[in-house]
Amino acid sequence: MPIVRTDSLTKTYGDAAHPVSALNAVNLAVEEGEFLAIMGPSGSGKSTLLYLLGGLERPTSGQVWLRDHDLSKLNDNDLSRLRRTAIGFVFQFFNLIPVLTAQENVAIPLILDGMPRAQALKQADEALAKVGLSDRATHRPSEISGGQQQRVALARALVTKPAVILADEPTGNLDSRSSDEVVQMLRHTVDEWGQTLILVTHDPRIAAYADRIVFLKDGKIVDENRLKGQGTADQIREQLSRVALQ
Amino acid sequence: MTTQVSGLGSTAGQMARMGLRYLSGRRLRTALTTLAIVFGVALIFAINLVLPSAVDAFNQTMSGIAGADATITSVTGEAFAPEAVLPRLEAIDGVRGITGVLRRQFQLPTLGIRNDNGSVPQIELVGLDPASASQVREFIVSEGRFLEPSDTGKAVLPAGLADLSPQLQVGTTFPLVTAGGLKLYTVVGLLAEQGSVSVPQIYVTLTDAQAAFNQSGLINAVEVSFDPRADREAVTAAIEQTLGDAYTLNTGSSSTDTLAAMQIGFAMMDLLGLLALFLGAFLIFNTFRTVIVERRHDLAMLRAVGATRRQITQMIVIESLIQGVLGTLIGLLLGYLMAQGVVSFMGRFWATYLNRGALELRLNAPAVLGAVALGLVTALIAGYFPARAAGKVSPLDALRPATTASIHRAARWSLIIGAGLMALAVLLLLTGSKGAAGGALLFLIGMVLAAPGLVMPAARLFSPILTLWYAREGDLARSNLVRQPGRAAITGSTLMIGLATLVTIAAIVSAFSGLINTLADANFGSDLILLPPSISIYDTVIGADENLAARLRALPEVEAVGSLRYASAAAGGQSLQVLGIDPNAYPQVATFEFSQGEPDKVFAALDSERNAIVTSLALSSLGVPVGSDVVLQTANGPQTYRIVGVANDLFTFKLAVMFISQANLAADFHKTEDIMLMVNLTPDADKAAALAKVQDILTDYPQFTARLTGEYREEIVRTSASAMYLFYALAFLILIPAALGLLNTLTINILERTREIGVVRAVGGSRTQVRRIVTAEALLLGVFGAAMGVLAGVAMSYGFIAAFATAGWEMPYQFPLLGVVAAIVIGVVLALFASVLPARSAARLDIIRALQYE
Ligand SMILES: Nc1ncnc2c1ncn2[C@@H]1O[C@H](COP(=O)(O)OP(=O)(O)OP(=O)(O)O)[C@@H](O)[C@H]1O
Ligand SMILES: [Mg+2]
Repeated sequence: MPIVRTDSLTKTYGDAAHPVSALNAVNLAVEEGEFLAIMGPSGSGKSTLLYLLGGLERPTSGQVWLRDHDLSKLNDNDLSRLRRTAIGFVFQFFNLIPVLTAQENVAIPLILDGMPRAQALKQADEALAKVGLSDRATHRPSEISGGQQQRVALARALVTKPAVILADEPTGNLDSRSSDEVVQMLRHTVDEWGQTLILVTHDPRIAAYADRIVFLKDGKIVDENRLKGQGTADQIREQLSRVALQ
Repeated sequence: MTTQVSGLGSTAGQMARMGLRYLSGRRLRTALTTLAIVFGVALIFAINLVLPSAVDAFNQTMSGIAGADATITSVTGEAFAPEAVLPRLEAIDGVRGITGVLRRQFQLPTLGIRNDNGSVPQIELVGLDPASASQVREFIVSEGRFLEPSDTGKAVLPAGLADLSPQLQVGTTFPLVTAGGLKLYTVVGLLAEQGSVSVPQIYVTLTDAQAAFNQSGLINAVEVSFDPRADREAVTAAIEQTLGDAYTLNTGSSSTDTLAAMQIGFAMMDLLGLLALFLGAFLIFNTFRTVIVERRHDLAMLRAVGATRRQITQMIVIESLIQGVLGTLIGLLLGYLMAQGVVSFMGRFWATYLNRGALELRLNAPAVLGAVALGLVTALIAGYFPARAAGKVSPLDALRPATTASIHRAARWSLIIGAGLMALAVLLLLTGSKGAAGGALLFLIGMVLAAPGLVMPAARLFSPILTLWYAREGDLARSNLVRQPGRAAITGSTLMIGLATLVTIAAIVSAFSGLINTLADANFGSDLILLPPSISIYDTVIGADENLAARLRALPEVEAVGSLRYASAAAGGQSLQVLGIDPNAYPQVATFEFSQGEPDKVFAALDSERNAIVTSLALSSLGVPVGSDVVLQTANGPQTYRIVGVANDLFTFKLAVMFISQANLAADFHKTEDIMLMVNLTPDADKAAALAKVQDILTDYPQFTARLTGEYREEIVRTSASAMYLFYALAFLILIPAALGLLNTLTINILERTREIGVVRAVGGSRTQVRRIVTAEALLLGVFGAAMGVLAGVAMSYGFIAAFATAGWEMPYQFPLLGVVAAIVIGVVLALFASVLPARSAARLDIIRALQYE
């Protein structure tokens, strides 16, 4: 049974007079331990899909299922709890709270969930070790590089052992070396700990690490690539431009 | 997926930790925001530290119960004949001993005896009948002997006093000021008691005391002891019934008009403190609104990783509470220091003008708890609303540009309600009744409510002026301002309250100094003035018998001598001070500021029958018009006096005083001693030489100090002016939060428009132009706040002065032109000042970064 599943997921922005269709009847299923990449032209609805999957946004119609929870049925408090226990986020910008240390940033979801501080910090240390940043635990975000910041964000996403990690262009702001570091780390979490991962990216080289790619255009899934980690960046780039030209 | 209840504390702890870090990351802003709380708490705390001791000092010296079960005095507080009371008391069941005493407190002037704190010591001279007094309470003699009925010039002291003044031992003599000049007393015994430390008692025989006070055959208190087995309440009731209305069983707390006047002063300070807290609340509110815009990304991120709305709200509330706690703590400390300042500053006043008990700082639970509660509640309420708004920040706000919601509808409603309140306030103000002060505050509140709706019209009204200097930038600034009317309104309101306070204080101060000057003109018509140790409260003053005035008149340089005599009385349940003047001599040396009645006719009327002049405060506390009759409780029982005029002078305008002729004072109150004298010299006399001669005479009357009247007048006017400067200082302190509000709003506006500024710069706007836009916006806000402040200030000053008038402090209202001009200038200057940093940071924005912002 898939761990994440959508059923005719539709999202329309704007008012009745000027509707903007961001997502149109999307059906998607992601298996446990799968690394899924979402690609598509700008404005195709990638971010919208990710927000809906993470309970940050409510669907106009259709459903999102996370394990056996129908997210559209949950109230704000339940959604918040779900986010801090079952979902991990990594965004492109503003991932970390500037006044907190790396360790504290990682511990936030645990502390928000009521775990005693000392215990939360200990688990944060373990998560930081997983992303190879133990030596940066007491640094503030402004004191570490962009790539390291994204790894801290990844550690925070990992720390709750979530059902799924959602990443929206986590490497969009990084140079290619840092990007490689981050995506290898992501791949590692999937391979080592069976982490389920959904990642939005524009970069074919990043997408090439995924098990499967779905292509979105105008709010619809228009293509798919089950490369199982065997694809190449060039092949993906070609497919992407095909999708864009359709 | 379950929240562990046990761990909630850790979440709150983490929130507090985070709050602290945010606060310390913005130290200057935190400090300035906290300052408003500090200031409000300090003011309120300081006042309430001093107030109880001030009130107590009054009460303590007013009541003189010492050892006896009950003390009976006449309602007037004046002396009476013992035969009127003693026989009637003897018949009452349960009364064991009765003794008549004549006691009076006064200070030992210029005898070289000083307390540790340097003030002149106050003593109470108690004249008692040695035989009957011993039946009322026990006098245990530790050394020497007790008084005997035949003693004259002998005194007995508590051993505690002798310990304090080693020169007072059995067998030694000491001088005391009496109505007949200095008298020497010999210490014959010491009592085995500590005695009152603040007001030591000296016991002499009743006859000696009667001579000392020039009140032969009279007593002013009866001390009673009860049978130990008797029902005390029944005995008390029986005594009250037997004696009727003319006498009171002294229970201790009596208030005077001076106390009331003092409380008005303290209430005004309290009001200032509350205004400061109100501003503090505004500031915290405003700051946290800024904070939420600044931290939108952080808040949204917290939401995205699972914080609930409540947790976010909690975090901001905790943060404002941290500021509240910090501000309150510092405020308590500062308040304590301020109170100490007040004590040492006012203490001198106290000593010079009142000379009653010690003004001291008293740490008391209500003062601490009250100040703490006010500080915390202010922070809590002010932080709560922005905190709730913070909770509503959507997790997606981290990833998207802000959407601005329209609040025009809300603005219209608050304009309507605000305008309604202001109309009501104006009605209240125009009635000029006691509600005027309420009207003034209502106007302020109405203004605050109406402010959001006023932003647009005000911007339209003032921007043409701005265009003179700022051309195109002025238009941009205006549209920026009206985009967030709520924020502009809060900023304007903060500035308004500060400036309105300034205008009000300026108006009150100028009206007050005007009043002092007019009144001083009335009082100080003479060439020389002989002042008692304490002015305004005369029942502790030992005056002089007619000999002093006679000796003064005998001097060749002296043309006329006028004097004041004193008695206390009651009318209609209110206590009154009665001052006796000689209607023929007094107008030559001084006059009154008449508000009703022709001076010539009134003085003539005073000379015949029982006619009286009353002060405005007395008139309003009696609640009757001029021309009516008032029944006065005198030492001779009730007497009817007719009010023929209303007049004030500098010494009495804040007191309930009745002026009658000295002949009537002697007849009805048995008082013939002069407590203040004024001397006119012949036109060609040498003032300095005359003063020297008068001072020579005063060596026999050391209770008086002779001064050149003109010099003394200057001193009084100067002292009251310096007290007024204190209020100005407070008004300026209140402006600090106002300036801060401006700074916040400008900062937040720029933050929100980062991208726009980037666009302006990208399409060719220069740094200077960007800076000018921000400055123009600040100016618009400053002018807006100043305009509101002037309006509210005029209303408030009018209301407060009207309220003072109904309380008997009649001051002419003058339009506070100076205050208005100052308010406008200060408003504009503050705005410019507050815009410097934000304008610079806006101008320095990196174009690319600004465009990518959000
Ligand atoms: N809050 C919103 N209000 C109105 N329209 C929106 C909103 N958010 C997104 N949209 C619209 O929905 C569509 C999908 O947006 P989305 O951000 O999901 O695209 P995307 O695939 O993530 O694009 P990009 O690659 O540029 O990030 C776009 O047309 C966008 O303009
Ligand atoms: Mg996107």
